[in-house]
Amino acid sequence: MSAPPVAAVVDEPVVLAATQAAPATVVETVELRSVAPSTDRRRRLPRSLERLGGVVALFAAWELAARVGWIAPDVLAGPSTVLTAGTDLLRSGVLLESLWASVQRVGWGLGLGVPIGTALALIASLSRLGDDLVDANVQMLRFVPIIALQPLFVVWLGVGETVKIAMIVLGVAFPIYVNTSSAIRALDVRYVELATSVGLTRRALIRKVVLPGALPGFLVGLRLATSIAWLLLVFAEQINATSGIGFLMARAQVFFQTDVIVVGLVTYAVLGLLSDGAVRLLERRLLRWR
Amino acid sequence: MALTNLAVSARDVRRTFDGRTVLHGLDLDLRPGEFVALLGRSGSGKSTFLRALAGLDTGFDGTLTVPRRRSVVFQDARLLPWMSVLDNVLLGLDGRSERERAREVLNEVGLAAHEDAWPRTLSGGEAQRAALARALVRSPDLLLLDEPFGALDALTRIRMHVLVQQLWARHRPAALLVTHDVDEAILLADRVLVLTDGRFSLDVPVEIHQPRHRGDQRFIDLRARLLAELGVDESAPTTRQGAHA
Repeated sequence: MSAPPVAAVVDEPVVLAATQAAPATVVETVELRSVAPSTDRRRRLPRSLERLGGVVALFAAWELAARVGWIAPDVLAGPSTVLTAGTDLLRSGVLLESLWASVQRVGWGLGLGVPIGTALALIASLSRLGDDLVDANVQMLRFVPIIALQPLFVVWLGVGETVKIAMIVLGVAFPIYVNTSSAIRALDVRYVELATSVGLTRRALIRKVVLPGALPGFLVGLRLATSIAWLLLVFAEQINATSGIGFLMARAQVFFQTDVIVVGLVTYAVLGLLSDGAVRLLERRLLRWR
Repeated sequence: MALTNLAVSARDVRRTFDGRTVLHGLDLDLRPGEFVALLGRSGSGKSTFLRALAGLDTGFDGTLTVPRRRSVVFQDARLLPWMSVLDNVLLGLDGRSERERAREVLNEVGLAAHEDAWPRTLSGGEAQRAALARALVRSPDLLLLDEPFGALDALTRIRMHVLVQQLWARHRPAALLVTHDVDEAILLADRVLVLTDGRFSLDVPVEIHQPRHRGDQRFIDLRARLLAELGVDESAPTTRQGAHA
């Protein structure tokens, strides 16, 4: 049996049988592949830096267009002009003052809206009566756009701070309510059974089982609520404000100060980003057990 | 009271679900410190009976006298994922006065090093040992075990059998083990009950000295008897198929 040697794919031929009568017969046709991790040599920069390139290009084009005069200053100020306006506003204290007014409104809105939404969620999901009284009504009102309530709110509350905060409170309470109550309803009944078997009181059941179990849902609601709070703040500050970022922008609008308007936009964005980051941090802290 | 020398007394316990009778008038006495295994096929009503004893189901008819201090170990460890192992063991107890005792019991089940761990980081066997610790820290007069080893792999199960044996010998609660594993019942219990269609169809003492071995002739005989009662004939299915082939 001296069949012609079969070509091997591996470097070292595998000798399966070698006698003096028949020379080495290699039967190895399986292709061997390296399983070492592939190294992508093209990627030298971290991906996040590469992505930043696109943003830099956009800003460069914007700056160029503003300098050359393709975009008039009263249409849109260039980045460098915006930066100057921003530092000026910061130095004069106007920006911080406006920022503080806006942050306070959102703070009040969240500070009142979150407990209200949570309390309603507890009432609705822990008793039949509460469910009947609260849930159906909240689910119905949820579909009324909050912005559309503004005329009614102004009639009731005037045009001062109260109306602005009230709108934020309402806007915050809904997502907190919806997410928390559905999280409580979705709680594993086996945990409730366990609580019964170890004789937990109703209060202990709420404190040790219901609330921590609903926490992930609550935090989803909180993230939604913070973004809604900023959104409603922008809207509330466009009407009849005498302070705040929105007021700053509205006043700039009158004088076609597009640089100040852009400063306001950037401030809103930074505030939104910061508060979202804070909620994420809170999430990581509170949900360590995951 | 006349019942002080009994851990459990059940008289004519019946349970119906939507007109379907699951328990047909069960009578049972359990002495303090007695370990009883309750065998039955799925749907025989054994878990329903355990839930009634645990106080998790109050929809039954009849009279049931149980100790105030009783604990349940479920098939799933059922640890609250947002609490440390130690806090899970302490669930429902005074965390300050019982903490040391909870640590002792965790040590007994071999989890002393895991008291601060999150339940999600435990293996199946470890989680079930934590559940055992949670049951035992309450010094129960009645320990209810609802197929507690059903979800564990075979090797872990053997280790858990030994552990439960040791813990029961030390704490001596009356114990009711619901299982469908005949060997497990014979290994652990003083007495084995078989529940068939909501009635006790067999009640036999296990008169084999501990430690018991599966190869013991009395073990083999009892296993055959219990399997027959459960409607399983170990030799039958293959023989029958073989005859047709």
